[in-house]
Amino acid sequence: MRYIFNFPDIGEGLDEGTIVEWYVAKGQQIKSGDSLVKMETDKVVADIPSPKSGTITAIYGKVGETIHVGNALVEIEIEGVSGAAAVEEAKVTEAVKEEGAGVVGTLEIAGNNAYMPASDEGTSETKEESQKSTKKVLATPVARAMAKELGVNIDLVKGTGPAARVMKEDILLYLQKNTVTSSKSNTVVSDEERVELKPLSQLRRTIARNMIQSKHNAAHMTVFDEVEVSELVRVREKYKSKFLEKQVKLSYLPFVLKATALALKKFKALNAQMDLDNNQMIYKNYYNIGIAVDTEDGLIVPVIKDVDKLSIFQIAQKINEISEKTRKREITMEDMKDGTFTITSFGSIGGQFAVPVINYPQAAILGIGRILKKPVVKDDAVVPGTIMPLSLSVDHRIVDGGETARFVNQIMEYLSDPVSLIMD
Amino acid sequence: MGIELKEYDLPDIEIFHNTIKDYKFHIWHPDKIYLILGQSNKMETSLFLDKVELDEITVLKRPSGGETVILTPNTLVISAVFVNPEVKRPHQYFARFNDFIIKGLLISGIENVNHKGISDLAIGEKKILGSSIYHKKDKIFYHAVLNVAESIEVIEKYIQHPKREPDYRKGREHGEFVTSIVQHYPDKSMNEITDGLIKSLKEFVN
Repeated sequence: MRYIFNFPDIGEGLDEGTIVEWYVAKGQQIKSGDSLVKMETDKVVADIPSPKSGTITAIYGKVGETIHVGNALVEIEIEGVSGAAAVEEAKVTEAVKEEGAGVVGTLEIAGNNAYMPASDEGTSETKEESQKSTKKVLATPVARAMAKELGVNIDLVKGTGPAARVMKEDILLYLQKNTVTSSKSNTVVSDEERVELKPLSQLRRTIARNMIQSKHNAAHMTVFDEVEVSELVRVREKYKSKFLEKQVKLSYLPFVLKATALALKKFKALNAQMDLDNNQMIYKNYYNIGIAVDTEDGLIVPVIKDVDKLSIFQIAQKINEISEKTRKREITMEDMKDGTFTITSFGSIGGQFAVPVINYPQAAILGIGRILKKPVVKDDAVVPGTIMPLSLSVDHRIVDGGETARFVNQIMEYLSDPVSLIMD
Repeated sequence: MGIELKEYDLPDIEIFHNTIKDYKFHIWHPDKIYLILGQSNKMETSLFLDKVELDEITVLKRPSGGETVILTPNTLVISAVFVNPEVKRPHQYFARFNDFIIKGLLISGIENVNHKGISDLAIGEKKILGSSIYHKKDKIFYHAVLNVAESIEVIEKYIQHPKREPDYRKGREHGEFVTSIVQHYPDKSMNEITDGLIKSLKEFVN
């Protein structure tokens, strides 16, 4: 009889493991207890022994591939057992599964749906039970991922691979048969050239983790407003050339940072962090503002420390240094540590408003949109104005709506009257 | 020139290769810095290779699972081998053995150490010990690193954020996630802690 050995739970309650090394090859004779494969889960590397003696007829998965608990690892041809005897053999095997030779935990031994008799004799009962089985269908990782992506119930797909394993082609065939008249069918027909697989970079993983952590833990609320900044434009124009003489470029960002730091001093909750583990709020009396920077590799957030104590010129200098370091890819962990608030200036690329994701566990993030000329009302007259759009996302667990609005008002007050930035 | 990745050959591997009793344990503190990769870790995604190469740090791959760790003269490496283990599930070994490490630390006057994640020990929410297991047919090799006095800057310098992390880490960087015993107990010495652990582990053996 042919016997399918599935990847057992090796004792951490985890549902998958990675193949580190194969000890056997197709056609190899093995004895019960011989090591088949070296598997790794989060903390454990374990040699998985064979529960049977026989000949390896198939191995599933390559080194480095992830296998789910319950998926097939190998097929073993057990000689001299067939037909009704094979059914009995399978029953005996299941009865003693807790005592599998040295395997950690319970062996997932071929159930009726995975049992493959050498002939068709006496298999009708087995087939019926197979149809009732709730065991996961055998499938390659690619096919499983493709089915998930395309919304296909893989249990309904007939597998054509070894041991009736569902292959990528089976998913495509199933789709062709079942979605011919669907308008979606044109978009789901897939071939290898239409997708590109690329391993995640460390930075992309970090971004993904941080974004999900923020969305899961913070209660996001966003307010939008516009501030008229004609005076700020005039001030910046006036000082731009003077700063350039000292090799420092002056953008609007230093003014926004300064305005934010001064506003944070007045609205401490926006510069706070919730410490649920110790049932307390942490109000920070330092004002380290992170600047979200778009790089080729992904988003990074270098931090300018103690912004409240810096002049506009010093802040501009720091921003210039960050830009230079980013260009040379010299930003370090040290440059990105200890931020208390974040600013994302997406307007330099495009867009007026956004719903920025809070840089958790910070309390808020301010988005700066594209500065535009717009008609504004001044002294009951419509005149041309210069508008800076603001989008502020806050963690509503930490900050209430009223305080959020007052904080935005304060920033707008500073930006509309830049001289006030040095008067406070 | 490139960095050479070597097989794990540090002193504690001896107890894995030459087991003559049912189990043995081994405690030592390294003479220099080593970076130890888990079985499926890759150097380029686990380490800051430029710093590792510049400082000529030795990089080894251990037989057990888990993520990359650093061994330094300010850490203690605690290893044990169990031959023909009666209990089959590794997490029970993590729990049992780490319990004895907690007892050993208590003997040295170090309190408030608790289990975290699958196999860590922590003070509060910060990790002080990580452990992993290699289960080979008839024996289990347990391997742990206790941060007695190493500064977090050293860890941050060489090791990238791991690709897998325990739930309680919650995305924290090394500096916010790891601590050392002396940060909480500045008067404790390496020898005092080692003595406490040996007393506790002898009890475990007997």
